[in-house]
Amino acid sequence: MTASPNVCLTLSNQPDNVVLVREALSAMAETVGVDDVELNDIRTAVTEACNNVVLHAYEGAEGPLQLEVYLGADAIEVVVRDHGTGIKPHIRSEEQAALGIGLSIIQALAPRVEFRDVVGGGTEVRMEFVTPSAVALESLVHDGFEPPILAREDLATTAALALAPAALARRVLPRVICVLAARARFTTDRISDAELLADALVAQAAQLSTVEHLKMSVCVEPRSLELRVGSPASSRAERPAADSAVHDVGPVIEKLTDERVLLAEGDAEILKLRLRDER
Amino acid sequence: MTVTHMTNSTATRDSRTGARAGEERLFARHQQGDRVAREELVQRFMPLARSLARRYDRSSEPFEDLLQVAALGLLKALDRFDPDRGHPFASFAVPTVLGEMRRHFRDAGWSVHVPRGSQERALKVRDAQERLANTRGRAPTVNELAEYLELSTEDVIDALQAIQAYESLSLDAPRPGAADEAMSYGDAMGEEDARYELVELDATVSAVMGRIPQRERQILSMRFVEDLTQTEIAERVGISQMQVSRLLRRSLEELRALTSTTG
Repeated sequence: MTASPNVCLTLSNQPDNVVLVREALSAMAETVGVDDVELNDIRTAVTEACNNVVLHAYEGAEGPLQLEVYLGADAIEVVVRDHGTGIKPHIRSEEQAALGIGLSIIQALAPRVEFRDVVGGGTEVRMEFVTPSAVALESLVHDGFEPPILAREDLATTAALALAPAALARRVLPRVICVLAARARFTTDRISDAELLADALVAQAAQLSTVEHLKMSVCVEPRSLELRVGSPASSRAERPAADSAVHDVGPVIEKLTDERVLLAEGDAEILKLRLRDER
Repeated sequence: MTVTHMTNSTATRDSRTGARAGEERLFARHQQGDRVAREELVQRFMPLARSLARRYDRSSEPFEDLLQVAALGLLKALDRFDPDRGHPFASFAVPTVLGEMRRHFRDAGWSVHVPRGSQERALKVRDAQERLANTRGRAPTVNELAEYLELSTEDVIDALQAIQAYESLSLDAPRPGAADEAMSYGDAMGEEDARYELVELDATVSAVMGRIPQRERQILSMRFVEDLTQTEIAERVGISQMQVSRLLRRSLEELRALTSTTG
């Protein structure tokens, strides 16, 4: 059994996703009580690692940027991964200077840094930060945890995430949703609704299970967010055949969303929720 | 053309090794106490210090202060660097400069809960949010706020989070006349009505509804029973939309906590 990450994000390597990563790290730090100077080190080093993926990993093309955070007793490990050409080989000379500073910064701020090749191509940067002020969360041990994946055609518009435990998701999910709602050009009014929806989804997931990850993907369109939330597979047997109209999401979720559809995907059920900003 | 191209790339390589050699000479002179060489090295590596300071620019410190700390770190790095070890100066300077900046943050008591700069920014965003909502008749987007205040969208998002989180700040101070309006609306609505209407919201919630403040019950009812937008609620109650948002989040959280403990 190996530890599974507390936060797992699969994003496209667009520059504005670095902001999303930084916001997720801040929300995480608030949950476990990392102090501001420690958080600043983590954010700065992780930003450099993400910028490398944004600028260099896919040689100008689009590709996935993956982030994993492991919250240990007095250390936090952050993994930034790409599936591109990687950081090490074929660095063009004009990029070398910028990349050099980025790597020096990571090495200066993270007590332990490791670069690994990813099977099938790509690089991961594993950074460990010492965080004596952080409170340990319940440890997660899962065999075969798979980071959420995105189909190539969805990558540009969609963010996929897995969060655990609920205490962490309670802070991180609303913050991530806020960033994505802002990107969908929601008004602050509707951004707040999106955060209320995130709260409700975390509360619902926490009731169902305490050890499972809350898995979700969020597709950003102009003035619209589509959330796909995974339900635990076991719940399906208790329900009648999957009905496209969902009535039992609870009144808060129902009032906040414009569309609710239940989809069957293999053995699992996916709850598809749409939130629009009609203005 | 091909020849020119080749000459160019050779020239670049030559100038780079030339720069490196020049750097070594400067360090050699600097070590012998040559002030001019030191000054020249400072000029040469100032862009590095500036680039590191910029990475902390989103903190509450003014950029000029950050740059000064980074420059101090650069001077320390210049004085401690040993060129005979054969490493490039930059790889030695980065950790030294960052170390100086982190020490500065610690010494300046930077790790207080809400840095003053972000507090001020939160107040600015709150005020702009209300002003834009009033002039446009709808709440603004994050991009509109960022453009209006000349901030990054990340700054605006951080400010929105701060407004949500830190109600102990003066953020919650009522505006003139607002408290009276909120009162009169509350009185007109009547406590019993609000409670019955909210049974519709959630049957399990009705048992604990009486345990959250009246104003929060009214706002919940307006959002989830009457289906008003947060901006409409803000107008009726005489508080800001951001406050409506915070009250909604808080009261739903309270209700969830109460229903989970009462079973």
